Amino acid sequence: MVALARKTLLHEWRRFLPAMLAVGFAGLLQLLQAALVLGIFGSASVYITGSDADLWVGYPGTQSVNLGRAIDPNVEARLLMDPAVARVEPFIWLDADWRGAGDTGGESVFVSGIDPRPDGMLFARALSPALRARLYEPDAVIVDRADIDKLGVAVGGTAAINGHTVRVVGVSSGLRALGGVNVLSSLATARELDTDPGDSGQPTYLVAGLRDPAQAEAVARRLRGDRAFGPYEAWTARAFARRSVLYWMLDTGAGAGVLFLAAIVFLVGAVITSQTLVAAVAGSMREYATLNALGVGVGALRWVVLEQAFWVGALGLVGATALGAVLLALARGQDVPVVLNLPVTLACVVLALGLAAVSGLAAIRSLRRTDPASLLR
Amino acid sequence: MNAPTATAPALRAEAIAKAFVSGATRTQVLDGLSIAIHAGELTLISGPSGCGKSTLLAILSGLQPVDAGRVFALDAELSRLDGAALERFRLWHTGFVFQGFNLFPALTALEQVELPLDYLGLSRRQARERAERSLEEVGLAHRMKLLPAELSGGEKQRVAIARALAKQPQLLFADEPTSALDASNGQIVIDILHRIARDHGTTVLCVSHDPRLIGHADRVLAMEDGRILSDRRVTPAHALHGAGS
Repeated sequence: MVALARKTLLHEWRRFLPAMLAVGFAGLLQLLQAALVLGIFGSASVYITGSDADLWVGYPGTQSVNLGRAIDPNVEARLLMDPAVARVEPFIWLDADWRGAGDTGGESVFVSGIDPRPDGMLFARALSPALRARLYEPDAVIVDRADIDKLGVAVGGTAAINGHTVRVVGVSSGLRALGGVNVLSSLATARELDTDPGDSGQPTYLVAGLRDPAQAEAVARRLRGDRAFGPYEAWTARAFARRSVLYWMLDTGAGAGVLFLAAIVFLVGAVITSQTLVAAVAGSMREYATLNALGVGVGALRWVVLEQAFWVGALGLVGATALGAVLLALARGQDVPVVLNLPVTLACVVLALGLAAVSGLAAIRSLRRTDPASLLR
Repeated sequence: MNAPTATAPALRAEAIAKAFVSGATRTQVLDGLSIAIHAGELTLISGPSGCGKSTLLAILSGLQPVDAGRVFALDAELSRLDGAALERFRLWHTGFVFQGFNLFPALTALEQVELPLDYLGLSRRQARERAERSLEEVGLAHRMKLLPAELSGGEKQRVAIARALAKQPQLLFADEPTSALDASNGQIVIDILHRIARDHGTTVLCVSHDPRLIGHADRVLAMEDGRILSDRRVTPAHALHGAGS
């Protein structure tokens, strides 16, 4: 079989270049957008994904980890009664007001009170044991590297949270928060900072490590039905992280905005690509008509155009992948939250190829004008 | 109108009519025309532009349907076939040569000729061999690997002829095949078309207003205003039947 589609693409690459660029940039935009969305909204669940706990127990119906309310500390006893539970740790999460030493005004911060012992589950993936140990010091806090300028302090400097003086003993990375700044402290320090008299040192969450993490789903279901120790609900870490991210994506309007943008990018890419392909087909119309006169069916000619569209999409994607990898590396270097996983990358690839296919189908419509009789002049 | 012949005609039209409608104007191009074309000879239809000769070619080759009348090609009645069946008929039985050479800029001469053969279901090797033989026959054995941009006008038309010839069609249609060529290249193309009719027994129907062609055709039909004005045989040895109207 003579590779008409590919040979034409190579020979007349200038003609196809705009379509390749359109597919490539559309793919790149979708990819970067997806990476940003995953990165930014993923940081909503950084408390969960940065920790080693298998189960999260919190106030019933909590939609996102930052919306927790205090629960009865006695629930800890209920959790420990379950034979599958190996250990339990309390987690205090509170909104607070930060005043730095510099002239930075007030800053809304989220204080995470954790157990600083070296094998603690909370933030086990984000903090080194040495760094955690520094939280044993009273009124010690750790902030994210990317937030330190915003907070107007340096490591070793002091600031006030809810009017209580704290000292920054170290910086972490990858703990940027959504809509505020994360501050880590010990449970004892967090209790000091809590000004709500109703909480009286109660934990916002209890997290549990299981003897067999694979059982998380079953244990969470088992714990959910029991109310004897006060109202609470149990989720697997995975489910709670997903719940938090989805809350931000879907219930805040931000997700809808992103989807809208993605649709626009798709539309613009499809218009440019299809117009280029239509022009390319029109440029070869007499040759296609000759083939049709010789008995090559319009159906077979359609395949040639579709194959061209596929190659345009594939080549555009190769370019987008290379450029995307560079840009993502650059973003990571600048602490911009970007995350990519395989399903999302594949979805972007499928979307870009779909764009090429839709454009190809649009170009095929112009093949209907191939009337071989028009060659007889 | 045409007298019956010793051999059945390869192409036959009976009282065909064709009109084109453009807006409110209706132009009757052909009206009750009948004609018979025979195998093994080069038949030329000549006439001024707008006389309906190209429309006649399009109808006899199955590229356009008739409004009225019947068209027979080989054993098929073209006027009864639908679009897909006509495509199939053209694939198996016809070759075309157009005034514009209509070659794909990206393909070599050999690939241009191979391309339609792929759709005949030939193996890669068979298609290659047939394409090479056709190019040799039109004298382009040494130019097979060249792109259209590297060929002269005459060579391009010879590639187009090889493309039509490689299908081994019983019917070969040529529309103004020499109009875009200089004298010597035109002569080469005419000789090739004539040889195809003689050597392969192909029915070659050529439409042209190029006077140079007249001396080389076996039969010349002069056309004007949608009617055949004269029908004469140029080579007496081939005169098998009398002239039509």
